[in-house]
Amino acid sequence: MNVLDAITVLEAETIVKGEGLEKTIKHVIASDLMSDVLLVDEEDMLLLTSLASDQVLRTAQIVGAAGVIVVNGKSLPSSMMQVAQDLRMTLAVSKFPKFDACIAIHQYMTK
Amino acid sequence: METDAAPQPPPTPAMLQKTRGQTLPVDAHHQPLVLLELIQRLKVRDVMTQEIVSVQRHEPLWVAQAAMKDKHISGVPVVEEGRLFGLVSIEDIIRAVEGGYIAQPCGDYMTTKLVVLEDDMPLSFAVQYFDRFRFGRFPVLNRDRALVGIICQRDINRALLVELSAEFNRMEQTVAQINGHTAKIDANTYMLREFPVAKYDFENAGKAANVIKAAMIERKYPPKIVRRVAVAAYELEINLCVHSVGGVLSWQLSNGRSEVIAKDSGPGIADVEWACRDGTSTANEWIRSLGFGAGLGLVNVKRVSDEFEITSQLGSGTIVRSAVNIALEENK
Repeated sequence: MNVLDAITVLEAETIVKGEGLEKTIKHVIASDLMSDVLLVDEEDMLLLTSLASDQVLRTAQIVGAAGVIVVNGKSLPSSMMQVAQDLRMTLAVSKFPKFDACIAIHQYMTK
Repeated sequence: METDAAPQPPPTPAMLQKTRGQTLPVDAHHQPLVLLELIQRLKVRDVMTQEIVSVQRHEPLWVAQAAMKDKHISGVPVVEEGRLFGLVSIEDIIRAVEGGYIAQPCGDYMTTKLVVLEDDMPLSFAVQYFDRFRFGRFPVLNRDRALVGIICQRDINRALLVELSAEFNRMEQTVAQINGHTAKIDANTYMLREFPVAKYDFENAGKAANVIKAAMIERKYPPKIVRRVAVAAYELEINLCVHSVGGVLSWQLSNGRSEVIAKDSGPGIADVEWACRDGTSTANEWIRSLGFGAGLGLVNVKRVSDEFEITSQLGSGTIVRSAVNIALEENK
């Protein structure tokens, strides 16, 4: 699965197409707590979060995430698109609740 | 600095900041970083001549004249018991010869209004001083106000040529190893960056760590190392933003190791041991709503560091140091 696949599965709207769009995803982290995300040592991961802030993108960049999908249909602050472009980070928004998003991603990855 | 017989303390960084850019013949915004780093990294003591030819106050001016002739120098400091009293320049000697007082004591005719440098000043200060004052040389004092050297423009030219040559060698090695290959970890690589971090400035918090990570990726350091340094830098930057009244995040690469230091000026931590425990935090709900303040920051910094150190005092400031040994990791 790559980020593009996850965007399709979660029926997400792509806001910024970054460098990791077609990168193979081995791990998906779902969290609203960036402190938790920073504890994850896995590379090639996708971040699902219902937190819509610039810091989500900066955290994702620090841990080398291939992309960020904001769930729960959260409206993004206007600065987020610019930060995503600056960091070349793929950013998408899905209306799926986080729990449902996790189930959908899991089903896709294990099918 | 100018001095009249008794050398005065050096100007403060703020005073020099006013002159910086006016007198430093490089543009800090558009020149190669390597050059700026070089003149900041090299200290006056690294460049100055330590073998000082000097005279004493009671000695006649012709002694200074003979020293200049023998050593091919254009000025001789007047020193007694390590303390600088003045300087006899070649202009002073010319005037003494013309005036017929070459046999008079140096102490009576030496120049006492001196401009001196301190040995731990960055070389950039010396470059600015030569541009500002148009003197041929500057005496160099240590912190105890003792004369420890003399610096002239020839010393600077020689030191810069040596250092730039070494730097170009390193760059050539790096270029040769690009195209998919991991860059060689060079123990001589040196970088220093400082980033001010303001309290609650979430708009900019994290930018410094992003810059640090980008700089390490550009130099092709191993991904695991980059990640550890970036995580430490990010956690410390967020800590400065969330918990302090503001501070500075600095990052230094030297001798095959990376060191991130977060330094703030308050409010300090009452119980450092408690603050370093997993899950303990003084963050408020607003900070938690931004995804931080879970009390994992310092624990995580410690986890990714080879060396971790924190010193703090309530009412003053906190300093956190995280070091990652790049060379060691490379050899694993």
